[in-house]
Amino acid sequence: MTLSSPLQTPGRAAIPLNVILLLAVAVHGPLLLMQLPASSYDANTHMFFAAHYASHWFSPWNDKWFGGFSQTTYPPLAHQWVALFSHILGLTYAYMVVQLIVILLLTAGIYRYSRLWVDERAASYAAIAGVLLGSLAMLVYQSGQLPNTMATAMALNALPYFYEWSRRASGASLVKGVAITVAGAAAHHVTLLFGLGLFAWPVFVLALLDRRNDSDEASVAGVISRATVFAAIAAVLIAVVLLPYFIETFQHPITQQPIPHGSRDNYLKNTFSGLNFWVIPYGTLILALPFIFVRGTAVGRLRPLFFGWWLTTLIGLGGTTPVAPLLLSFRNAFNILTFERFTFWATIMALPLAGLLAGELIDRFHARAVVGLWAAAVFSCAMGVAWMTIHPINGAPFRVDQVISFLNRDDHSRFRYITLGFGNQFDRVSTFANAGSVDGTYNSARLLPELTAYGSAQLYNAKYYGTAGMDSLRAVLKHANQYGLKYIFVRDRFYEPLLAFAGWRQAESYDNGSVTLWTKEDVPPAHKLEFGAAPPPAWQGVMWGILPVGASIFAIFSVLGISDRRRAVEPIPFPAPAGEPAFREAK
Amino acid sequence: MTIRRLGLAALMAIATLVLLAAGYASSGGAASHANTPEAAVRSLYDHVRTRDFPGAFRYVAVASNTDVERFTRDVAGRDGSLRTLSTLQDVNTSVLHENDTEAAVRANTHWSSAVGSLYDSRELRVVRENEDWKVVWPSDKTPNVPPQVLALNFLRWEIIHPAAGEDWGAQNAEAPRVRILNMTPLQHDLGNGLQGVMILGEIVNEDTVPGFVSVTATLLGANGESLGQETAFDKISHTLLPREVSPFRIDFPGAKLADIRKVTMEPTALLVPASADPVIGVLHQRIETDARGHKILKGELVNQSGETVNIPHVIATFYNEAGKVIWVSDGYVDHALQPQIPEPFQLEVRDDMGATPRFRVTVNQYTIERQGA
Repeated sequence: MTLSSPLQTPGRAAIPLNVILLLAVAVHGPLLLMQLPASSYDANTHMFFAAHYASHWFSPWNDKWFGGFSQTTYPPLAHQWVALFSHILGLTYAYMVVQLIVILLLTAGIYRYSRLWVDERAASYAAIAGVLLGSLAMLVYQSGQLPNTMATAMALNALPYFYEWSRRASGASLVKGVAITVAGAAAHHVTLLFGLGLFAWPVFVLALLDRRNDSDEASVAGVISRATVFAAIAAVLIAVVLLPYFIETFQHPITQQPIPHGSRDNYLKNTFSGLNFWVIPYGTLILALPFIFVRGTAVGRLRPLFFGWWLTTLIGLGGTTPVAPLLLSFRNAFNILTFERFTFWATIMALPLAGLLAGELIDRFHARAVVGLWAAAVFSCAMGVAWMTIHPINGAPFRVDQVISFLNRDDHSRFRYITLGFGNQFDRVSTFANAGSVDGTYNSARLLPELTAYGSAQLYNAKYYGTAGMDSLRAVLKHANQYGLKYIFVRDRFYEPLLAFAGWRQAESYDNGSVTLWTKEDVPPAHKLEFGAAPPPAWQGVMWGILPVGASIFAIFSVLGISDRRRAVEPIPFPAPAGEPAFREAK
Repeated sequence: MTIRRLGLAALMAIATLVLLAAGYASSGGAASHANTPEAAVRSLYDHVRTRDFPGAFRYVAVASNTDVERFTRDVAGRDGSLRTLSTLQDVNTSVLHENDTEAAVRANTHWSSAVGSLYDSRELRVVRENEDWKVVWPSDKTPNVPPQVLALNFLRWEIIHPAAGEDWGAQNAEAPRVRILNMTPLQHDLGNGLQGVMILGEIVNEDTVPGFVSVTATLLGANGESLGQETAFDKISHTLLPREVSPFRIDFPGAKLADIRKVTMEPTALLVPASADPVIGVLHQRIETDARGHKILKGELVNQSGETVNIPHVIATFYNEAGKVIWVSDGYVDHALQPQIPEPFQLEVRDDMGATPRFRVTVNQYTIERQGA
């Protein structure tokens, strides 16, 4: 495809994208081989979803959480690719490989997105900064948000095609852009709804601003109509590909009580949340903020990017400013969404400007600037990774093999179980145990009234949600007989008094006593629960198994198989006229 | 670069700062000074909520004659008590009276604990110190008992399990015989304004071995259909020694007594090892009327054994003149029971039970060392 004119800053060449991709492999490859994301908040949840697809590709109904739920509540693409790779690599390494591929796609996407705004050299610096972005390290290694990073990578790669189509009516760009957009939507719904919009509108304005550049003669109406056509086609195709998701969302809208999350805090009042959700993700990019304000507002062509970044940054600040609560006041969205992803997107939007700054610093200070910038970028990434050690999200490590073994023998899977104090190891237990649980990690799929009515998340973390969490746990325990809830694995003695007073007895202990099993004798075997959820019909399972992954395969073939329209060689006056910037994009 | 272009950057920077300031102001702004008695109490509890006890102690008056360690022990609990497993959720304050130098403030606190919600109410004296108001915190003066040797002579039952290889969980032993002595359905407020039906009663272990008991009740409608099934949950003593009687209460939120044709009771029992220790005595039991005019049952618990009881759970059974159970009330005590040291308790009582109902108090308990693996 063709991007804006690739004029070079005199004297220095851009770093080739291939080299930057190798850098991404060199930085993230070892970390992923060490399986660092396996101890993140959500990676095990995504592996749980993937494990189900690996064995039930066309049946999205999963009995293992919440007494049964439909996996059509979450777009499946990332999980399905992990499932496919898991047949060769095993579940955990499959996750890591898919995450590495996503990082490579993201790096290429940052480069291509940056090229819309700045020259090739600055874009290459932006892509390098993207590899070492603190927010990316946090999202991959602390949050474990594979679908979000995958969808963001897709969005970034789709936007240049959207720009190209809007500006020059390139049919190939329309096909590729829409295909990648649909594949991105099949990976993560929140990115589709919010991220794509935040990224797309500055690009749309850019296409309007650039409509007469480079000998093109597009009209305003033409750009607007083409952008509308792109959006309409993508919307229709997304609606088809994710139809089971929309049906499920329509049938079971999220009506549960809001669950507290640190990213909604006022970061100035809660400094830990500020550090965790803003300072560490931004890293040394914070030093570039004055430049972003000055250059982003000064250069007309960069203003859409600046305002897009500014708005996304304000939303990413959660409750620190009134912007996010006001903009997301519809359908209680502010209290449902979490905002670390907005900061991730904001840092990506800042990268083209950071790339410009890097270029100017290198031109002025040469090797000293290279060393300083490299150190700053590495520090950002290192802090993002090290933050997990400085503020670990898990307690001391412990083994769950014996728990899984217990649940898989002697017909114990006839009963349901919960874990208390297991953190994200619950996901690992539920992935490999045959028994079902009334607990689960994906909050939006919950329908049991004891879980949705109290404003707390997982039962295994009940105490962290105060009264709401403990009341929810009490409610579930009260109805243990109805749910067939016989086994409770406890790794936090905080919960023992409630179990002891409520009629459970300690039966066994594992892992040198760090995990205890509590049982209740009069609980009958579990049966199918009647609480409104039902398995989706078979045709939805077939759609779910074919269309999302099919959309991604079509996107791959369209990018590889459809050639771009080449622009004619354009003569460049040399030497450049005095007073003009050396690169046209940032004029 | 023109001044106009820099002006836009400055404008956006100022807009950002204004939005940050607006967000900061709307979330309460900087910590307020204790310039009123109520603000002093609220500030103290705000720091307690974040477990910043030294910060909370800054609002304690010198006249309290306490130090930060004793204050922390009092607020955060000690000895593995329920208070050590609690976090302050909310505090509501109201000024009872106030003058230029002194005020009385009632603080109703809501705690999240390991067994559910706990509520506490304190009337605090607040005095002016220099320009600020400070809270006179009544220091905890727990008496000490002298070192002594306690000779214990209590019954204990153990079970010899079959050799490995048997089915997991199978006892191959006859379950203890238990019987429901008494059962009364009642339409009543279940707490928090929820109306429903409660099943009150007593269960006895008639056997010569201890049993771990549960009681399940099923409500049946006019056509024999099930209207709901619930268990006694924590409103029962699950471990019953031979001949021991426990009250129970089973709540059915939302149920209506008029819709119920029949109640099916299902007691279950399991043979378990048990011990008569620790023995907890109940002293000075009496029913009083509190400042709001509600009846409360007060008394003191005395741990007569030699080890700390971490979480006592008091269950009171009230009877009418015919000996029928008319109410079961329970509550957790958030202080641990040290050997031989009395600890006060109080329970809310139905106000419509007549002047002096007969009652019996039983104490259930959780002790960390006993529950350990």
